Amino acid sequence: MLRRTALAATALFAASALVLAGCTSTADPGPTGATGEPNPDASVAIRLVLEPGNLDIRQTTGAALDQVLIDNVYQGLVSRTTDQEIVPALASDWEVSDDGLTYTFTLEEGVTFHDGQELTAQDVVWSLQTRKDTPEWADSARLANVSSITADGQTVTLTLAQPDSSLLWNLTGRAGIILKEGDTVDYQTAANGTGPFVLEEWQQGASITLTRNDAYWGDAAGVGEVVFQYIAEDQAAVNAAAAGEVDVLTGFDPNLTEQIEQNGDWTVVLGTATDKSVLAMNSTAAPLDDQRVRQAIRQAIDHDAIVEAVGAGQTLYGPIPEPDPGYEDLSDTAPYDPEAARALLEEAGVDDLELTLTIPSFYGTTIPQILVSNLNEVGITLEVDAVDFGVWVNDVYTNKDYELSYVNHAEPRDFENWANPDYYFTYDNPEVQDLYEQSLRATDEAEADALLAEAARIVAEDAAADWLYNWAGVSAVATGIDGMPADNVNARLDLSELTKSE
Amino acid sequence: MIRYALTRGALLLLGLFVASALIFLTLRVLPGDVAQQIAGTNGTPEQVAAIRESLGLNAPLWAQYVDWIGGVFRGDLGTSLYTGLTVTAELAEKARVTVPLGILSLLFALAVSVPLGVLSALRRGRADGTALSVGAQALAAVPVVWAGMMLVVVFAVWLGWLPAQGFPRGGWSQPVDALRALILPALTIGIIEGAMLLRFVRSATLQAIGQDYVRTAAAKGLTRNAALIRHGLPNVGLSVISVLGLQVAGIVVGAVIIEQLFSLPGIGRMLVNDVDARDLPMVQGELLILTGFVLLVGFLVDLVHRLLDPRQREAA
Repeated sequence: MLRRTALAATALFAASALVLAGCTSTADPGPTGATGEPNPDASVAIRLVLEPGNLDIRQTTGAALDQVLIDNVYQGLVSRTTDQEIVPALASDWEVSDDGLTYTFTLEEGVTFHDGQELTAQDVVWSLQTRKDTPEWADSARLANVSSITADGQTVTLTLAQPDSSLLWNLTGRAGIILKEGDTVDYQTAANGTGPFVLEEWQQGASITLTRNDAYWGDAAGVGEVVFQYIAEDQAAVNAAAAGEVDVLTGFDPNLTEQIEQNGDWTVVLGTATDKSVLAMNSTAAPLDDQRVRQAIRQAIDHDAIVEAVGAGQTLYGPIPEPDPGYEDLSDTAPYDPEAARALLEEAGVDDLELTLTIPSFYGTTIPQILVSNLNEVGITLEVDAVDFGVWVNDVYTNKDYELSYVNHAEPRDFENWANPDYYFTYDNPEVQDLYEQSLRATDEAEADALLAEAARIVAEDAAADWLYNWAGVSAVATGIDGMPADNVNARLDLSELTKSE
Repeated sequence: MIRYALTRGALLLLGLFVASALIFLTLRVLPGDVAQQIAGTNGTPEQVAAIRESLGLNAPLWAQYVDWIGGVFRGDLGTSLYTGLTVTAELAEKARVTVPLGILSLLFALAVSVPLGVLSALRRGRADGTALSVGAQALAAVPVVWAGMMLVVVFAVWLGWLPAQGFPRGGWSQPVDALRALILPALTIGIIEGAMLLRFVRSATLQAIGQDYVRTAAAKGLTRNAALIRHGLPNVGLSVISVLGLQVAGIVVGAVIIEQLFSLPGIGRMLVNDVDARDLPMVQGELLILTGFVLLVGFLVDLVHRLLDPRQREAA
């Protein structure tokens, strides 16, 4: 309710702000231009959009928690860089046997938890084993292939029942988080990890504060304090930036670029992202069970217009976005062609088609409007049903009770959903499932990627869904801030390199 | 009077009880539950089932309701499914923002509406009086979000006098900062609520001007304005008190929107977040307290009205 009002108000407001901006000569300088050295004790305020419901890294899923806590507060044996490379974290190095069944990790020396206790190999074994054995913990199923986890001195060995080319990647996420064995910390509102930052305070409904961990085992963080401020409204975030109350805006609306750059020392940074807006089509019922109808919908949509309206990002014509392994350009599978779309619908014997699009209301109205007019052009009447996210999860995700739907799938490397017939995409193709399985079992990376690419092409040719666009990560960063990650910030936000000069 | 108060109090309790059942049932009609939210969009059905079981969401509805109401009678409103903190503690924490915000909003609303409303009634038929009344009509129609944004741009972005959003991390241990953080949001609610109240004050004043006792007082040699101020305004005050109940409800609704807009960690923002997260024990506790508060204000307004208004006392 608020969001819709806010959207309407924002448009009105932006117009008035521009008019009024003409009447003022002294704009507030905002953050001052940096002149000196980085201040090692600086406090940096970062605007985030979505606040997690609690801090329970074990159980509560979602990027809102990953962003804040993984890499900064909690660590795994391995981590990932912003360009998706797997790098050492709590393990200084690792080896994978040729048959892909044994992973041997060497643990870093002298690592301590934030409560002062030393990290032992037993903590690692306990964390991974408990994750695997506790179904209510996030990503528990991702360790299903691991048959044993053992430790010997500083060496931790994982033995697999069958090769799993996604295991290392999974260990960079929730499945690999290392906790203190039998920790009594209240995970829901506090944290005890090994990372470069300590969770200082969570002010529910407002902010999360991290402070530098002075006992950190690696290189100390470059700032004294990071304050994540949760500001839901884009315009309110820009105002906070203009008033000098925040140093970085993530989730920045690129259409407000001009406005923020007027306010002094701000740079808008575009990064790559694995976020994909997936237009899911429920193919369990007529007429969407007909590939020609789905193909018609794909070809009726003007993807370039969507990217232009959003203001950032790029077109995407298949299930795998450019930063992920297995990507190839699949634009040949669905070129924009309303004429061809009409012909396909005619061939399928469908006319006067009426469909309902169910989306969470926070995605605004820009894209639905484009979809309504695009589909209307080929003779499909689209009704838009914008619902609260909880309703979406229940109706669409859990009960698969929908015709068309779109949400942002931010997770990198999530092709598995196309190989899962029970997923809400309702896509059930044994060939794709088999190719994905082969890719998982491949012990050669190039081979694994080639198999993924092959599977992805089939998904696109089947018109299993449409991919409206691949997001860009858009942030606005104040002068003096360095080391702020630009790529994939919706999934991760490693702030160990962040500095601020004043 | 005593009998009236008792009857009215019984009515209040009945209202609360009906509200509690309504709140409980309406929330259970909402599709989706907290287990799905926690498991998210990559959660497996097994994971959702395990979480649901561990949170006790599988108990029958009537048992959950009886459990909740039983707790309410013991002063225990329940526990958040997300944070494990008690609803009472969370509400007490967030009330530190919302209660001062509400009081400040009300003060602003009264400061705007009473003097200007009386003035616009006295200047009826003249340009400035008409302008006041038309201006109030226009202001009352302004979207709250937009009004808030404009105030922020002027006072926070351009002039830099006040913060654009947020609340100091130290809360009221930094009293000056805390108060500064509340001024713009309270002003936003106050101006819009005040504009609505202004029209009401204006018509109440006009009514008072036409009353016999004011005319009589004027005939005894007081000027019309003096007569109105001495004899009419108490009645205007009474009328204002009687709509305060409605105003409070308006302020509560305004707070929900404004706290979101200004990122204030108050009850309104908590309510929105908790509904989104399907943290039902929190939501029903918050709604019960808010409903109770609005009903209580209505109760007090009725009592005060009865005490102050001689005509009603005679009728009793």
